[in-house]
Amino acid sequence: MTEKMIEAKNVAKTYDIEERTITVLEEIDLEIDRAEFVVIAGSSGSGKTTLLSLLSGLDSPSRGTVKLAGRDITTATEDELAPLRNELIGFVFQAFYLVPSLNALENVMFPAELKHDTAAREKAEALLDRAGLWSRRRNRPEQLSGGEKQRVAICRALVNSPKLLFADEPTGNLDAENSRGIIRLILELQEEHQATLVMATHSGEIADMADRTLVLRDGRLVQGGAPI
Amino acid sequence: MKVHARFILREIRHSGKQSLTFVLCVALSLATLTALNSFKRNVYQSLVGEAQVLHGADIIIHSHHPIAQPLVQAVAELEEEKRVLSLKSYEFSSVVRPVDGDTSLFSSLKVVDSGYPHYGSVALLSGKKLQQVLEPGTVVVGQEVLDRLGVQTGTRLHIGNALLEIADVVLSESARPVAFFSFGPRIFISSADLDNLGLMGKGSRAEYEILLKISNSEELTSIHRQLTEQALRGQERVETARTARSGVKRFFDNLLFFLSFISIFTLLLSGIGMQGALSAMLRQKQKTIAVIKTLGSTYRFLLGHYFAIVIILGFCGTICGFFMGMVIKQFFPVLFQELLPAEIGLGLSLYDIGESLFIGLAVVGLFTFLPLYRLSEVKPVEIFRSDRQPRTSQRARYVIMALSTLFLLLLVIRQLEDVKTGLLFSAGLLAAIAVITGVSVLVLKLIRCIPVTNLAVRQAIKSLFRTGNATRSIIVTLTSALTVLLTIFLLKLNLFATFIDSYPEDAPNFFCLDIQKDQQELFYSLVDSPAPLFPVIRARLLMVNGAPIDQEQERMRRSDNLGREFNLTYREQLLKDEVLVRGNSLFDSTDLPPGVAAVSILDTIGDIGDFSLGDRLLFNIQGVPLDAQVVSIRSRTQSKVSPFFYFVFEPQVLEAAPQTFFAALHVQKELIPGMITRIATAMPHVSSINVSEMALQFGALLGRLSAVITFFASFSIAAGCLILVSAILATHMERIREVVFYKVLGAKSSFIVGLVTCENMIVAATSSLMALALANISCRLLCEHVFQIPYHPYFNVMALAILLTIVVIVSIALLSSMTIIRQKPVAYLRQDNNT
Repeated sequence: MTEKMIEAKNVAKTYDIEERTITVLEEIDLEIDRAEFVVIAGSSGSGKTTLLSLLSGLDSPSRGTVKLAGRDITTATEDELAPLRNELIGFVFQAFYLVPSLNALENVMFPAELKHDTAAREKAEALLDRAGLWSRRRNRPEQLSGGEKQRVAICRALVNSPKLLFADEPTGNLDAENSRGIIRLILELQEEHQATLVMATHSGEIADMADRTLVLRDGRLVQGGAPI
Repeated sequence: MKVHARFILREIRHSGKQSLTFVLCVALSLATLTALNSFKRNVYQSLVGEAQVLHGADIIIHSHHPIAQPLVQAVAELEEEKRVLSLKSYEFSSVVRPVDGDTSLFSSLKVVDSGYPHYGSVALLSGKKLQQVLEPGTVVVGQEVLDRLGVQTGTRLHIGNALLEIADVVLSESARPVAFFSFGPRIFISSADLDNLGLMGKGSRAEYEILLKISNSEELTSIHRQLTEQALRGQERVETARTARSGVKRFFDNLLFFLSFISIFTLLLSGIGMQGALSAMLRQKQKTIAVIKTLGSTYRFLLGHYFAIVIILGFCGTICGFFMGMVIKQFFPVLFQELLPAEIGLGLSLYDIGESLFIGLAVVGLFTFLPLYRLSEVKPVEIFRSDRQPRTSQRARYVIMALSTLFLLLLVIRQLEDVKTGLLFSAGLLAAIAVITGVSVLVLKLIRCIPVTNLAVRQAIKSLFRTGNATRSIIVTLTSALTVLLTIFLLKLNLFATFIDSYPEDAPNFFCLDIQKDQQELFYSLVDSPAPLFPVIRARLLMVNGAPIDQEQERMRRSDNLGREFNLTYREQLLKDEVLVRGNSLFDSTDLPPGVAAVSILDTIGDIGDFSLGDRLLFNIQGVPLDAQVVSIRSRTQSKVSPFFYFVFEPQVLEAAPQTFFAALHVQKELIPGMITRIATAMPHVSSINVSEMALQFGALLGRLSAVITFFASFSIAAGCLILVSAILATHMERIREVVFYKVLGAKSSFIVGLVTCENMIVAATSSLMALALANISCRLLCEHVFQIPYHPYFNVMALAILLTIVVIVSIALLSSMTIIRQKPVAYLRQDNNT
C-alpha cells in the first residue's frame, strides 16, 4: 500500500477584510503519495499559493484538516511545526527568500545546522557542487543572479533530505533557459531523495512532466484530487 | 503643487509606530530643554530681575577689610548732596551661646544699620519691620537658633563680648532667598552693638558692605563710576545690583549651565532617534516611493508631501514636548527642594511657547534633512530589487554634515550663552563621538572576526551587520548616554566615599579660625592638645608677571579664581601630605632677584593661574605690596579634609605681617559641642567649626544635586532607548524577513528569541563596556585633577550597570520583536508577493 504523504479533508480558507468574508479556497479534498510529483495549476487568483501554504503548514486552514506523513498539522503551533519544517519539508519559493546576511554555503547549511547535523557543511558543499555553484559558494545572495539564487534555494530545501518538497512558482522569476535548468535540477534531486514534490505553477510544460495535476478554479479543486 | 492631504494622512496612518517614535523623540528632545529654559528664566527673573531686592541696594560696596577712607569720604559727600542714602552692613560667623546652659551654635551674624534693607524686606514672626524691632541690645534670630539652643524670645545670648536679648524671629530674608548654602542660622544685630561684640578686631573674617540707594536712578552709572575710581583696586568692589553676583546666583549659574549641557546632549540623542524613526518610515515606504516615481511623480512632490508629514509630526512632538516640559517643571520644587528660593514663580510665558516652537521645528529640520534628501536617491528600480539601498553621494553627505554641525553649534552657543564654552563643548562632544565611533568600528570588526560555533550566536553576529541595521550608530549613542550617566554616578560615589561615608577616622573634624598670636597657650589649654597652628595672612594677588589681575574676568570663572582673597602662610618645610613636584627645594633662592620673596605654590593654583617656576606674583597684604617669585610647586598626596595653602612663604617674609592662626584638630565627636562652648566663652572672636556636621550638610547638598542631575540625565537614557526602538523599526522588514526565513527552515521560537537576545546583548554589552571604560577615565580625571580626591572604580556598580543595560536593551528588543516572532510565515510571504 502506498504511503500517504499529504491528506487534506474539506479544507477551506477565508479572510475577513473590512467586514467582508472572502473565501479563497473551499471544499478541498486531496491525497498525495510518497515520491509523487504533483502540480497545482490554475489561473491567477485561483488559490494555488494559498493551497500550497495550507498543505505545507505555512498557514492554517479556516476549516478542515491537513495531515503530513500521517500527522495532523491543522492546529499545530509554530513550535510544533518547526521540526516538521526542518526535517520533513523543504520549500522553494518564487522570490528565493535566501537569508541576505549569509553566503550561499551558509544558507544551504543553515537547516542542517538547526538540527545539529555535524555533516552540515559536507552535505551543503556536495549539493552546491551538484548544482554547479561551487565557485559561488562564498557569495552573498545580492551577488548572485536569479537563477543562481534559485539553485541555492533548492539546495537549501534538500539539505536535510526532506520527504516533502513544496515549490511555489520556482521558475516565475527566471528566463526560459534558467527555468529548464531549475526544473531539471529539482526533478533530479527529488528522484534521488525520493521526495514528494508539490509545485504550484502556471507552466503547462512543467505540468506535463508531473505525475498528476490539480487544477483550481475559483478556490475549488476541479481536477485531480486523488491519485490516479 | 497640489497638496494631497489624503496621501499625507494615509502615510502617517500606515507608519503608526515610526510616527509615534518620531513624535516621542521630538517631545523628548524638547521636554528637558523647555523645562530648563523656562525654569532658568524664572530663576533669573527671581534673582536678577529683582536684583535690588536680592542685594538690598542699588550699589553695593564690598570688602573683606574696613572700607578705606577715600571711599568712605566719597560716599559721605554723595550722601551730603542727598544723591545717595547709605547703610552699613557687616557679615561674619561666630559661635553664640545662651546666658544659661552649656549649648552653643555656630551662626551667621549680620550687623546692620537701622533702615536695613533699602529694598526688599526681612519678614519677622511678629509682623513688625526689622528697624522697629532691632534696637541696641537686641537680636533677631532665625527659628533654628531657638530650636537648636532650646531658647525662646526674650532669652539673652552671648555673642562675642556682648549679651544681647532675642527680640523676634526671622521668617524670611529677601537678600538671602536660599539658606541651604549658608553654614549656621541667621542672627541680625544692630550696628550700635558692633563695638560691644569685640569681634571685628585684627584678622577677623568679616565682610564689610556699604549699601547705597540712589536718589535719581539716572545717576546710577555715574555714581558707580565715581565710587569705583575711589576704591582700592584688588580689595574693594563697587558693584551695581544688576552686575553683582550673589552666591545663590553663582550657584544657579553653574548648576543651570551644567544642566544645559545634559539637555543639549538629550536633544542630540533624541535628534538621532528622530532621524532613525524617519529613516525607518521612509525605508518602509521605499517601494511605494519607487512606484510613485515610476508613475511620474517628481522629487518635489515627494519632498513636499513627506516634509509636510515631518512638519505635522514635528508640530505634534513640539506640542507634546512643551507640555511634557511644563509637567517636568512642576516637579522642580520637589526635585530642587531647599535649593530654590521660596518665592520663585514657576509660571509660563508666551516666550516659553514661542521658544519651544522655534527650537522644536529647528531641531526637526536639522535632523530630518538627511532622510528627506535621500528621497531624491530612491530610484524606480527599487521595485525590482528590494535589497538595493539608496546611496547618498559623498558630496551631499559632507554638505549636510557641515550644515548640521553649524546649526548644532549655533544651538549650543545659544543654549549655553557662551561662545567659547559652546565651541569647546561642541569640539569636545565631536571629539568624544569620534573616539567612540572609532572604538565601535574596531570592536565591531573584532566581533566579526571571532570564530563562533554556536549557530544562534553566529547568526546574531551576522544580524548585527544586516543592511540598514545602524548597529554602529546605536552603539555610539548608547555609549555616549551611558558614559555621561555613569560618570555622574561614579563621581557622586567617589565624592561621597571621600567626604561623607568614609570620613577618615584620623582626619581633622574640628576647625578653629582667627586665633590671635597671644592666645595660643589659652587655646591649647581649652582644647587640651598641642594642636599645630597654621599662621594665616590674608592677601590679594594683584599682578602676575607684571600683568594686573582682571578682577571682573576672574570672578566670572566657574572654578576657583585669582580675584578672590587668599590665605597665605609661612613655614620651613613640607607638610606630611605634601610632595615637591617642581623645584629643587621648598624655597630655592638661586636666581632670586633682590627684594623678591620666594614662594612655593600648590599645583592646583598653578593650574588655575597657569603658573610655572620663575613666575612673578605681586600680592597686596592689607595695603603692603609683596613681590614674590615661584620657586617650587607642591602637590598633596592625600585628599582628606586637612588644611592646605596655595601660597607658602619663608617665615622671615611674613612673620611680621598681620596674622591670625588656624587650627585643625581631630576630636571625639561627642566632645566637640562642649569644646565649642568653652572656646566661645573664653575666646569669643574665634570661630569654631564642627566639620563632621558640615560634612553631613555637604552630603545632603551633594545628594540633592546628584538627584537633580540624575533626573535630567535619565532623559538621555530614554533618548538612547528611543534610538534603539527607531533602529529596530528601521530594520523591521529585514527582521520580519529573517524570522520568516528561519521559521520556514524549521527554527523554533526559542531559537529566534535566543538570536534576538544574543544580538542585542552584544550591542548592550559592547556599549556598556565602552561606556564603563570611558566613564572610568573621565571620572578618574575629574577626581584626581578637579576634585583632588582618590579615585575608586566601584566594580560592583559597574557590573550592575552592565547587567542593567543588557536587561533594558534586550527587553526593549524582545518586546519590539514579539509580534514578528508570533506571526505566521505566510502573512509575510503573502505581503511580499503582493508588493
